Amino acid sequence: MPAQALITGHGDARRTLIVVFLRGAADGLALVPPLEDEHYHRARPRLGIAKRDAVRLDDRFGLHPKLQPLERAWREGELAIVHACGIEDETRSHFEAQDLMEHGGVVAGGWLGRYLRTRPAAASGALTCVAVGKALPECLLGAPAVTVMQNFDDFVIGGRTPAFQTQLERLYAMQRGQLGEAARDTFDALVRIEAMRTTVYQPEHGATYGRDEFSTGLSQLARLIKAGVGLEAASIDLPGWDSHFAQQGQVETLAARLATGLEAFRRDLGARMTTTTVVVMTEFGRTVEENSAFGTDHGRGSAMFVLGGGVQGGRIHGAWRGLSPDVLERRGVLEGYGDLPVLNNYRNVLAPILARQGATTEGLRTVFPGYALEPFSLYG
Amino acid sequence: MKCSRRQFIVAGAGAVLATGSGCGQLRDVTADARRWWGKPAAPPLAENLSPPAAAELDAVSHAINRLTFGARPGDYQRVATMGVSAFIEQQLAPQTITDAMCERLIRHEFDSLADPESRLFPRQGDATDPLQQLFPAMKDRGARVSDLYEYKDKVLLDELTRATLLRAVVSERQLFEVMVQFWTDHFNVDPSKAECKWLKAGDDRDVIRAHALGNFRSLLRASAVSPAMLWYLDGRVNRVTRSGEKPNENYARELLELHTLGVHGGYTQLDVMEVARCLSGWTVRDRKKFFKGRVEFNARQHDDGAKRVLGQDVPAGLGARDLDRVLEILMAHPGTARHIAWKLCRRFIADEPPESAVRDTAAAFTATQGDIPGTLRALFATPAFADPAVRGRKFKRPFHFVVSALRGTNAETDASRPLVDYLVRLGHAPFRYATPDGYPEAASHWQSKLLWRWNFSTALAANRIKGTQIAADELVRRVGGPAAFMATLLGRQPTAEERAAYHESGAGVALIVASPAFQYS
Repeated sequence: MPAQALITGHGDARRTLIVVFLRGAADGLALVPPLEDEHYHRARPRLGIAKRDAVRLDDRFGLHPKLQPLERAWREGELAIVHACGIEDETRSHFEAQDLMEHGGVVAGGWLGRYLRTRPAAASGALTCVAVGKALPECLLGAPAVTVMQNFDDFVIGGRTPAFQTQLERLYAMQRGQLGEAARDTFDALVRIEAMRTTVYQPEHGATYGRDEFSTGLSQLARLIKAGVGLEAASIDLPGWDSHFAQQGQVETLAARLATGLEAFRRDLGARMTTTTVVVMTEFGRTVEENSAFGTDHGRGSAMFVLGGGVQGGRIHGAWRGLSPDVLERRGVLEGYGDLPVLNNYRNVLAPILARQGATTEGLRTVFPGYALEPFSLYG
Repeated sequence: MKCSRRQFIVAGAGAVLATGSGCGQLRDVTADARRWWGKPAAPPLAENLSPPAAAELDAVSHAINRLTFGARPGDYQRVATMGVSAFIEQQLAPQTITDAMCERLIRHEFDSLADPESRLFPRQGDATDPLQQLFPAMKDRGARVSDLYEYKDKVLLDELTRATLLRAVVSERQLFEVMVQFWTDHFNVDPSKAECKWLKAGDDRDVIRAHALGNFRSLLRASAVSPAMLWYLDGRVNRVTRSGEKPNENYARELLELHTLGVHGGYTQLDVMEVARCLSGWTVRDRKKFFKGRVEFNARQHDDGAKRVLGQDVPAGLGARDLDRVLEILMAHPGTARHIAWKLCRRFIADEPPESAVRDTAAAFTATQGDIPGTLRALFATPAFADPAVRGRKFKRPFHFVVSALRGTNAETDASRPLVDYLVRLGHAPFRYATPDGYPEAASHWQSKLLWRWNFSTALAANRIKGTQIAADELVRRVGGPAAFMATLLGRQPTAEERAAYHESGAGVALIVASPAFQYS
């Protein structure tokens, strides 16, 4: 397909990065509990994930029982986890922390937007970058172009009259040079999207998406990737993690959505997962100690997940020092437990992923200015 | 909607004037009333709406294309009647152009910000404004920078974006708005960085709009001490408190590389360091302090030793006056004239402007000591600008495309979120560019994003953009039929293919806005 190769620069061989943001500060200690740590169970007598319920990952950690669908990816080496992860700033404001993380520090624009700017302009098309949802997330600020999309109906042009598109195509057929090529590529993409819009989707390889928005969004992204429209980056949110009160049911519901969606997406894409990376992040973690309302409050470190794209999975990457009192980060002079400290900066997780996508060392300096990167070796 | 005393007065004055002018059809009366109330309304159409008759773009259409964000119905006849050079002169002197409708609209739409007590968006002096006649004291009362912090940052960015878009659509001072965009890119500040989220609104008012068609030297100085710029390029943390401490050179570098000399303008890394030393000590008070947003020179954080910038001496002991010495050196350097001239030629003539045009424009910049209208006057007089070969060859950036479509179809718009969303999708919403180089100008950056131009065209034509409306059938009838309508938008008679496509598409208005020719100016 020569026209397609023009719009994407890489044709269907393009690498795709999907960024999942768990808004509200997801409890990394519930999602990836340190099962063997006595301090964990002492700090969370009622909320702690029991060894017998968890999915065992290695000799230190388990997965929340509702994340069980992710077990297969872990065993097959396609899922990597970085614990005690987050931003260097101690703010415990959702808003401020999300901004800092999505911007990549106190800096203009978003980290993903800046990354896309480092890519050649000609490689950017109508569907290079998609934000699933109603609004543009901060991480994509400054991107050359972003399509904010709720569903494929957003792409119908010409009020569903084929004559409009035919006539437009005739006028653009007379154009030479870059504009003519761009027009042909766009018409080609429209044909592909129209095919998706008008057919009921059948996920492959027995994948079963949930019925929630998160799964629906992921299935649309899977279709865009399969259609080879040149998707290079996409963002999708899973909100609602701010579990101050009676968190068990809340976390269970969200964890189930997260794992069901991700595993369906992975299965659905099959071999295409080697060129597709999903990274899951959250603004900060929650207090080690449970509160009196069966919840947890704003903390510091949480977990990040990296799925697919050739990541060296089945492993917890980065530093971990346990939850003993001398390790925890104290807030002020308060007694009791502190917070899981941020031992692993989120940038050092994102940087190797972007490098895998094609970012140069110089490009990474643009993406994360003023920060001395020490990228984790996620790819062995 | 809250009804302020001010609005009551505007309404009263409007009623009197509307009665005075009252004639014509019922719809016109309603539209007049809307206009006087300050509600979104398309400006009244001129008497003579005859479109261009030539098959190719002529000098009149070319001047409109390049000096404005697109022709409105009737613009062609108006400019043809007054003559191209008179039109250029008029646009170079925005203070002579009455813009009552635009100002009224801005005040109506942005009530909280446009209140006399706390105005974020400056009003040009307008002698005919009934409000200013009643209250002369209102003329020059702008808001203080610290007032900006009282707003929610999202509200500020939203209103600034909408106001910018509205002005581009309805203002009669079109070249002024074009230059506002030009300097906004040239001195780019992204509000998403730290306190810029509040301060950019002040930068727009006190730096960009205050000097857009003024003197470049004044513009440059205003930008250098703009609170937003001090945040954006870290000037506020450029301090030297002990001998040998390394200053923060972020602003100094961009001052040379982007704002004045250009990347190949003949400066060295040493010059960057020396300029950074000169500017050390300038800072702005942050929001946790009293007098937040206030710009200060802190002598104890200034490196007051002797420096050498671009081969010129900056003697020791000048303190805060180092800044003016540096700007003096930069203004006198031929690289600055050349760089600004090249960027202007690229905006107004071609992505690759001919050397002769750059040279002539640079000479005028130097001769007028950075007078922006004087420099532009010379640019518009170059043979390259008049060359028929450059006409219709500048690929419109998305903002220009969207605004020209709104102007050409005489759209009524409130410039609200649904319209701005199209600019977001096209990657060209105002004030959302992260790096200091500003949105790119050349066609190659923009040509691959046609899908959302076409989507916009069909949505506009079908009145599917909430808050934006066109009366296409009536407009086509008023201008004299489909061919005349196409000529109004394209600045020339449509080709046989365009006519055929218009009729056969079943959606002629959308088709012509989406057509290849309309993507160019």
